Amino acid sequence: MPTSTPLDPSVPVRHRWFSPARLLAIASNTLLELVRQKVFYFLLLFALLSIGSSLLVVQFTFQQQFQVLKDVSLGAMSIFSWLLAVLATAQLLPRDLEDRTLYTILAKPVPRFEYLLGKLGGVLLLLALSLALMSALFAGVLAWREQTQLALIQAATPPEDLEAAVQALRASTFTPSLGLAILTIFLRAAICASLTLLISSFATSSIFTVIVSVIAYIIGHIQPVARDYWLHSLPAGQGVSPLVQVFLGFVALFFPDFQLFNLVDEAAAGNTIPFPLFAQTSALGLGYAMVYTFLAYLFFSQKEL
Amino acid sequence: MADPAAIAIRNLTKIFPVPFRKEKVTAVEDLSLEVQPGQIYGLLGPNGSGKSTTMKVVLGLVSPTSGSTEIFGRSSLHVESREAVGFLPENPYFYKFLTGSETLHFFGRLCGLSGPRLAARSRELLALVGLETAANRRVGSYSKGMLQRIGLAQALIQDPRLLVLDEPTAGVDPAGSREIRDLLLQFKQRGITVLLCSHLLGQVQEVCDRIGILHQGRLVSEGPLESLVSVEDQTECLLRNASPELLRSIQAQAAAAGAEVIQIRKPQTTLERHFLKVTHGVSRDASTQPSPQHADVHAP
Ligand SMILES: Nc1ncnc2c1ncn2[C@@H]1O[C@H](COP(=O)(O)OP(=O)(O)O)[C@@H](O)[C@H]1O
Ligand SMILES: [Mg+2]
Repeated sequence: MPTSTPLDPSVPVRHRWFSPARLLAIASNTLLELVRQKVFYFLLLFALLSIGSSLLVVQFTFQQQFQVLKDVSLGAMSIFSWLLAVLATAQLLPRDLEDRTLYTILAKPVPRFEYLLGKLGGVLLLLALSLALMSALFAGVLAWREQTQLALIQAATPPEDLEAAVQALRASTFTPSLGLAILTIFLRAAICASLTLLISSFATSSIFTVIVSVIAYIIGHIQPVARDYWLHSLPAGQGVSPLVQVFLGFVALFFPDFQLFNLVDEAAAGNTIPFPLFAQTSALGLGYAMVYTFLAYLFFSQKEL
Repeated sequence: MADPAAIAIRNLTKIFPVPFRKEKVTAVEDLSLEVQPGQIYGLLGPNGSGKSTTMKVVLGLVSPTSGSTEIFGRSSLHVESREAVGFLPENPYFYKFLTGSETLHFFGRLCGLSGPRLAARSRELLALVGLETAANRRVGSYSKGMLQRIGLAQALIQDPRLLVLDEPTAGVDPAGSREIRDLLLQFKQRGITVLLCSHLLGQVQEVCDRIGILHQGRLVSEGPLESLVSVEDQTECLLRNASPELLRSIQAQAAAAGAEVIQIRKPQTTLERHFLKVTHGVSRDASTQPSPQHADVHAP
């Protein structure tokens, strides 16, 4: 029988209340878990959509072609990243609880907030990686269509107009706003992931978590419209009761106004995203993500395993 | 001041609420006990008597309803108390998508180990629990005995001073559980404290210094093993090559001195020992071929 030797005592292992190495260990393990579940197969679907959409509309003008390509690609990126955020996050805690892997992890000197942040970090890594891959695919298709159009223009345009035509072409393909739009998509997915984490910290099943998370997303989308309707389109003299006002205020506070993230559509439509607006939206999004994560920690720290 | 106890449990009560019901489950009731450094402490009791719950409270996985628990003088409510502890839960499961070796790396990183030191440590532990040949297989394909082994290795990764083992030999075959028992004795020599819970009394009797018996959440008996199991008014004496005349004369002498010979018989080998002898003491879980490492198991 082999014997176990003590670890070299000259290298002491000191407990720290927060350790980036532990956090990274949990995050990368979570990413590995998701990757080994073969989630990246969805990229094939994305490639199909992106390439397909650009081939279906070849008879349009190049502006229209690029328009469709951007609409479809950015739209698909939004949906896929949202689905990934909700579905991947919803199963993390229930699975660790069910398989009792959580016991062994938390019986190590791992603070609960670190575990939670690590799990969320793993999902964010997954989202960043998938968005990076989708962006690369999208950029590849866009560059390919640009080259095709360039060849057509060079063949068909008189030399004196060529420069202007090429510039018009370039202006309708790669723009800085596209980059900002992709960052915005990531941010929105990050909010949804942290919201889902919050729900799963008290939910009893992952199905429940997914359903509530989807409902919250829908509420986030329609609440500004609904609020406007209630507060402003009632007949004059018929005031809104204070109770309804408090309720609407609470809803507005707790659910982010996802309409703000419509700047993705602006970029797809070829408009420029003003940087201050982007910065403002990012700050708001980060704020929401942080508050959701903190609330998730409050629930999780009380949880009996 | 004296060294703090490895584990101190003071007036621990744990009551679980039952969802949608009025009545509650009292899993542990007013439990107090101490495990001294270097001891192997056996916590016994029938199923549902509160052994696992007690361990979970000690490890901070479940909060006590009242009372307190400490590990080496540090409250279980603080994360630092778990620095020097290795835990093997009941029926352990690990991430199915990791291999045995990746599992140990993951837990090692949680304990602040890294680099070549961690790689060497995890290789050493895989050898210690006999999983070298399965090191690169997914844990999802491990048998129950192998899960216990990887669980034990995982508990040992940061070279803890205290091991908390919840039924470490459940689902392990006799050779495997004997290996685990030998390991426990080895840890004891190195001064590692062990809190062990089991309902396999024979095994517990072989390794434990001190025993606590739980029944319906209450500690009903506690003390050093010898004092609990020795029959105070009897003495055993084993003889080799004793002739019938010698036995008769011993009986006569005993009667003359007012003592009684209760039984004279051939000592029996244990079924476990016989089983190990005829199966060569090798567990299939450990490796596919008998290796010299297991040679000591053949010895009677
Ligand atoms: N999370 C829980 N919720 C409700 N009851 C529980 C929970 N965990 C354990 N119990 C109950 O507490 C009692 C003790 O359980 P446990 O500590 O697992 O016993 P043992 O490990 O000795 O078999 C049992 O009656 C069990 O049903
Ligand atoms: Mg138990």
